[in-house]
Amino acid sequence: MPDTQVVELGYGGNERLMMNMGPQHPSSHGVFRMILTLEGETVVAVDAVIGYLHRCHEKLGETLTYVQYPSIASKTDYVAAMTSELAYVSAVEKVAKLEVPKRAQYLRVIAAELQRIASHCLWLGTWCLDMGGALGGGATVFLYCIREREMILDLFEELTGARLLYGFHQIGGTRYDAPAGWDTKVRATMDFMAKRIDEYEAMLDRNAFFLVRTQGVGVISGELAQAVGVSGPLIRGSGVKYDVRRAEPYSSYQDFDFVVPVETAGDCYARYLVRMVEFRESIRIVRQALDGLPEGPISSRPGVKSVGQVRVPKGEGYARVEGARGEVGCYIVSDGGPKPYRMKWRGASFSNLAVLPHIVPGHKVADVVAIMGSVDPVFGEVDR
Amino acid sequence: MTLPPVAWHAIEAFVVLNALLILVAYVTLLERKFAARMQSRIGPYYVGRPHGWLQPIADALKLMLKEDIVPTASDRWVYNLAPIVFLVPCLLIFATIPFAPELGVADLNIGVLFFLAVSSLEIVGLFMGGWGSNNKYALLSAMRAVNQIISYDLPFVFVALVPVLLAGSLQMSAIVAAQQGLWFVAYPVLGQLAFVLFLVATLAAENRVPFDILEAESELVAGFRVEYSGMKFALIQLGEYAHMLGTSFLGALLFLGGWSGPWPAWFGPIAFLLKAVGIFLLVTWVRWSFVRIRVDQILAISWKLLLPASIVLLLATGFVVALRGAGGA
Amino acid sequence: MAHNGGGTPGFLRETGQLVGAVGRAMGITLRNLFRRPVTVRYPDVKRTYPDRFRGILALTYDRETGEENCIGCRLCEYICPPQVIKVEMLKSEKRNYAKTFTLELYACEFCELCVQVCPTDAIIMLRTFDLATADRRSMLLDKDRLHALGMQFEPSWATGNKLRDMQAPPKPAKAAAEGAKGEAKEPAE
Repeated sequence: MPDTQVVELGYGGNERLMMNMGPQHPSSHGVFRMILTLEGETVVAVDAVIGYLHRCHEKLGETLTYVQYPSIASKTDYVAAMTSELAYVSAVEKVAKLEVPKRAQYLRVIAAELQRIASHCLWLGTWCLDMGGALGGGATVFLYCIREREMILDLFEELTGARLLYGFHQIGGTRYDAPAGWDTKVRATMDFMAKRIDEYEAMLDRNAFFLVRTQGVGVISGELAQAVGVSGPLIRGSGVKYDVRRAEPYSSYQDFDFVVPVETAGDCYARYLVRMVEFRESIRIVRQALDGLPEGPISSRPGVKSVGQVRVPKGEGYARVEGARGEVGCYIVSDGGPKPYRMKWRGASFSNLAVLPHIVPGHKVADVVAIMGSVDPVFGEVDR
Repeated sequence: MTLPPVAWHAIEAFVVLNALLILVAYVTLLERKFAARMQSRIGPYYVGRPHGWLQPIADALKLMLKEDIVPTASDRWVYNLAPIVFLVPCLLIFATIPFAPELGVADLNIGVLFFLAVSSLEIVGLFMGGWGSNNKYALLSAMRAVNQIISYDLPFVFVALVPVLLAGSLQMSAIVAAQQGLWFVAYPVLGQLAFVLFLVATLAAENRVPFDILEAESELVAGFRVEYSGMKFALIQLGEYAHMLGTSFLGALLFLGGWSGPWPAWFGPIAFLLKAVGIFLLVTWVRWSFVRIRVDQILAISWKLLLPASIVLLLATGFVVALRGAGGA
Repeated sequence: MAHNGGGTPGFLRETGQLVGAVGRAMGITLRNLFRRPVTVRYPDVKRTYPDRFRGILALTYDRETGEENCIGCRLCEYICPPQVIKVEMLKSEKRNYAKTFTLELYACEFCELCVQVCPTDAIIMLRTFDLATADRRSMLLDKDRLHALGMQFEPSWATGNKLRDMQAPPKPAKAAAEGAKGEAKEPAE
């Protein structure tokens, strides 16, 4: 495990300044405190403090039943709620050895990939907002991305009735089925999104200002990535081809044809390229899933009739999904009742943030913001 | 009834100052609406439906009614004086700008020099604000500001001297008179290059994105202004926008011909205003399109790119003027 | 913008790239200047909410008889994750009622689990969310208020039975499937 890096710049005579970034800060992506030690403009050491958003999810998992918890699971990674719920219900289904009908699996895939697009829209918008300022070009990209994200949220609103925290999954399948005419709307939205992604790339891809802020900044080497345990676009931007959808396919992902993007540079720009490709691959998967959507029931269990309805036999199991930020996992220990005995979340952002003390020292204060944005943490996942 | 000249000047100054304040207020509304349309939204809308006409007035009233908070650990005198020291030079530059051949508070024969010199004085107010706030963010921002503005004032001055050379005088009305036939921006290569460099230097000297590292909301949360609220904040905002407008007016005067053009004389001042607002909108358009760059990159651009380019441009202009003078008009 | 010391051609190429990038970005901003804004001028203009919109909660009356649908069974109280519903049952000869029914809307998560579990389609969600108030106590909805809201606003599509039918195959199809041993499964809509 490599040591946390503290860079000695030897300014000779300059005092070190300890500056606090957060927990209330426009670009800390949530409540996150970083105690930076600065020499001039250069960061020499980073001390990260988390826990400001702790809401006792793992305890809630022990007090709420299997019927109640999926609605709450969306609140861990609230930006990509579908994948969080999917982790929980997959874990329970693994322990209970439940079969999920094919139509439900395809609906889950559509929901997860639409959620990935929406989450990456938010990532791009907030990253440019941090780098460009609330009164500048960053705000422009932010509003464009939010405009597109709203279209996907409209799709989810038609499907489930809610825009951010869905309660779409349940043990054994999904709670809602696609309404009439929904797939036409999804297809139209996907075509529209593809054109808008072209616009974002035109605005940013070869933009000298953007390149100069992101190339060479926050380089994570492949070895460091694997040693610290990052996942998702961070590890794929550092040259390691690891995607849970390919490593351990869940929910019929093996039926779909998609490319897992890998870049070797390991800097913020590489992670940007990885996520932009993931945009387009998600659109491809959604189109394939809609084409192949089978008829059938959406749940292998009857509809929810009472709170203690689902009883899971004794056992334990771990399920992981490829969330927008990385590998989201849920570990359930069951003792045969309607509630888990123990539930543990593996938050993708929690492990991703562990890489910060290794890569931030040596950079300037402005780069800290760029690096935070490209790591893309959501503190619901970190603090749970 | 004839008043002594002092009284006339006082009245002119009063009128110009008031007109300026109203113009600055409504230019903020214009910027907000323009930026909003570029971002697929509408800007201020509720206050004074349907176009938000009363928004600047509402903002001014709100700021006037806010509580005046002075941090206990701040340097009292420096903190309280900083907004005034910041605002006064920004308003003073308008004294030298003539709005029509005989209309202007003081058409000095060293007009451009006075403008450039006084407009640089805002740095003092800026640094006072950053220091007096006793806040690490403010201090960091103030240090960056001094770095950036001083670095960019040099190419700014050199580029502003190009029209001066072409016109042969520092007096603003003389520069406009020299553009009766052809605006300086239309000069073959020199004019366009000088105009582009002027815009870049303006962006940096005004702390506009992509050079707004000093106020970087997402890093330094309003920079040197972070501890100011209420009327002091209003003064700082006023000063910033007045300075922005001032350099827009200067750009319109130096490069776009001021009030001259193919229209009757009474339309001149209005055309001048429109040109200045046009430059302002151009700068706004750039501002809302780009992310910002780091402070060391900003300084690199200034010292390695803009300064040599502006010096070369100035030398070339001198050369051209000398040749023109030697060969006749 | 580091120069690569490649001399004049490198410098010109980089400047050309910069100008191109600047032009592209500004071009896109300009294009968006002429697009229609996407703002919905709430509250002057309200957008249409989809059928399944999960808005504020309400209690319903039976369409034919005009009786209250709620039988006071307290299933919604047990299933509510933040426990915002409190019900007291009133026993009666033919059927039970709810004596009191309070719902703390300020703590409600709008997860629709209570709607899902209700056996008589008594509690539903409405297609509106406009209950902004300056006093939190007015968002503690009691039974009369819930019934009044149900009469005042448009209901959303979801009721308990509809959701349960969506999740499990409807009985006639299941009987036919079991009887015929075929897979005539109706698409759940």
